[in-house]
Amino acid sequence: MKMRYPALAATVVAFGLLTAACSDPGTGTTSDDTATSPASWPAQDADLEGVTLTIWAAQNSNTVPDSVVSAFEKSTGAKVDVVTITDPYEQSVQTKIATGDKPDLAFWQPTASMLAAINAKTNLQPLDDAPWLGSMDPALADLTGIYDETRYAALISTPAVIGMYYNKEVLAAAGITGTPTSWSELVQNAQTLRTGGVTPFFEMGGNDGVPWATQWWVQAQLAEAAQDGLWDEVNANDATFTDAPIIDAITGYQGLINDGMFNADIKTATFEDQGKALLAGEAAMVLQVNSYFSQLQSLADTDELNQKIGFFPISAEGNVGTYIPDQANALVAFKTGDVTREAAARQLLSFWLGDGYADFVADQNTVSLEPEVPTPATVPDALQSVADSLSSSVGSMQALAVANPDLYLRLGDMIQGSLTPEQVAQQTQDQFAQLAAAQGIAGF
Amino acid sequence: MSTHTLARTGPGAAEGAPDIGRSARANKTRHAGTHPWAFAAPAFALLAVFFFVPTVFNFVYSFTDWSSFKAEIGFVGFDNFTRLISSGDIGRSLRVTLGYAVLVAILQNVFGLLLALLLEADTRINRFARVMFFIPVIMSALAVGYVFQAILKPDGALNQILSVVTGHAVGTAWLGSTTWTLLVVATIHAWKWMGLPMLIYMAGLKTINEDVLEASRLDGAGAWTTFWRIRLPLIAPAVTFNVATALLGSMNGFDIVQATTGGGPARSTELLNIFIFRTFGQGLFAQATTMSLVLFLVVIALAFPVIGMLRRREDVL
Repeated sequence: MKMRYPALAATVVAFGLLTAACSDPGTGTTSDDTATSPASWPAQDADLEGVTLTIWAAQNSNTVPDSVVSAFEKSTGAKVDVVTITDPYEQSVQTKIATGDKPDLAFWQPTASMLAAINAKTNLQPLDDAPWLGSMDPALADLTGIYDETRYAALISTPAVIGMYYNKEVLAAAGITGTPTSWSELVQNAQTLRTGGVTPFFEMGGNDGVPWATQWWVQAQLAEAAQDGLWDEVNANDATFTDAPIIDAITGYQGLINDGMFNADIKTATFEDQGKALLAGEAAMVLQVNSYFSQLQSLADTDELNQKIGFFPISAEGNVGTYIPDQANALVAFKTGDVTREAAARQLLSFWLGDGYADFVADQNTVSLEPEVPTPATVPDALQSVADSLSSSVGSMQALAVANPDLYLRLGDMIQGSLTPEQVAQQTQDQFAQLAAAQGIAGF
Repeated sequence: MSTHTLARTGPGAAEGAPDIGRSARANKTRHAGTHPWAFAAPAFALLAVFFFVPTVFNFVYSFTDWSSFKAEIGFVGFDNFTRLISSGDIGRSLRVTLGYAVLVAILQNVFGLLLALLLEADTRINRFARVMFFIPVIMSALAVGYVFQAILKPDGALNQILSVVTGHAVGTAWLGSTTWTLLVVATIHAWKWMGLPMLIYMAGLKTINEDVLEASRLDGAGAWTTFWRIRLPLIAPAVTFNVATALLGSMNGFDIVQATTGGGPARSTELLNIFIFRTFGQGLFAQATTMSLVLFLVVIALAFPVIGMLRRREDVL
């Protein structure tokens, strides 16, 4: 008889855990009532003695809050811990939230697809009536951070824009003056460069299996289509990745690769190689987003960058940029179930984008989102060009589509020669449909 | 990591059964006195919490639509399985995983056996060398992966050494081939773990009776013949254990490959676990769970015939 007890105990434990697990552990501590009642916004300097807030940040955003956090701590007496979550950041955060772990605030890509992926309705505090919205540039205030008509993310810096970074000296040496005003002109310039023995474009097709920049080539070509509602049609399953214009953009990208317009080591080149190559003039142009410019800033000072590096948005028919906010651009506040900390998290956000914003912009040497807060004069020209292109730009797949399939991964496969453009389109569509179905989107 | 997990199935796991004979009853009473089952309770409790319960959950969640997108979890029957099979992705990842496991099993055992034969004699240098070769086993697998990634980069240490030796610039992308990279990462895995089979083979070699070896020498057998005809058949239990742990352990491989190639190039090294990790990261928790259930079943389906076959080889003993 004795030997039965452990077995019995184990069975009881197993069944106990089993029944407990039949609800999503990530939703255990939420206070759903805060979603319906309008949130109060405490004064920016209200006393927070004894309150500790946690901010989750990625390896490339964990120093962003430094100046704001120390000013906030001084002003309110709160304690703010910035916790670095390991890369891949989004996956790690989702995994933690799935198991019931939650911070008070986190850096998060403020696109609809990523807000859906974190189950914003259940997990995040709505920020609809935030006090800073009135002071933001009206063209940028509603650009992103909204999911299903509710605002969940606070934009703190200009979202990234997909566009062409170019080496001014290389283009000048090849006799190319002025920037192209359409895709076909861009291709013509590339041909001129290639004939002159210069590598026109540099792509990170290898990047240790994560060639995330490959998708920019498809998305840039789709900017006008996106303005005409392409992603709405894809979201409704009325258009697919295998239809024009998406398949044409993929095929066009492959055409440029096959025509030798890219670096010879495209299959193995990395993100770091892209930075070095453009600065050294080994290639003329790189289609990238803001984080690429951050890398250039780590390799050269502002004077050198102003002298060498330029930026222009590019699209099929003209110069429409494609914006793609990333995790370092925005924060979300979580419903933790602790009313005091939830209010304190809102207070930190209103301080960040209120009294603390001027110091933040100066500390980060970045473009200001608020007309009353000046952009520091030391911000490099290319970064200012990126910000200027924002008001006329259109949302990326990540910003406008309901799901974010691994398009870049399959384009990487295409570069390696293991997938055709048709297979890239089909597999991406299949994954998109799977993600849309998981969200319960009608039509999938 | 994974190579330890099957240690329980090692040689000697089935001991305790053969002594049931005439004195079985007396034996049983004595056994119950000296080995009360309650002593096993803590171990079973841990096993239950960290193995049985997750495995049961794995079964349950595979039939749900658990995702990061919504709070409710509903049962969806076999939907996840039908979608998985129709997409074809799992077939590709399974083929990559099997290829990887077979390569690791071969390389790790060849390396381990060679080291064991080389370092068999108990000299001071050999003892030092054994420790050195065992160090990678206790190193972090991720660290090993990142170190090799740095060494094998087109501008990494290996190519720099080759450039100096050959006198002209070498820029081979060792991790860039969609055909050969799987072999490279399997070799890294085998290098990391080869110290373990080395120890087990060495222990096996030490158990061979000196009289048998002397007899074979008297019969005129050379070193080669002795190895093939006498020593290798006599360490069959060690072979069973090493091949099974290497094969089944590397079926669950993840860390080394993730750190070295991230599954690339063109997903030619995307092991099933990397695919599961990526799917989970997209918030498709139920689909990821379904895949790990499939992996679990495949490992089980593979374990029985492989271990059975290797055990039959031991019948000569």
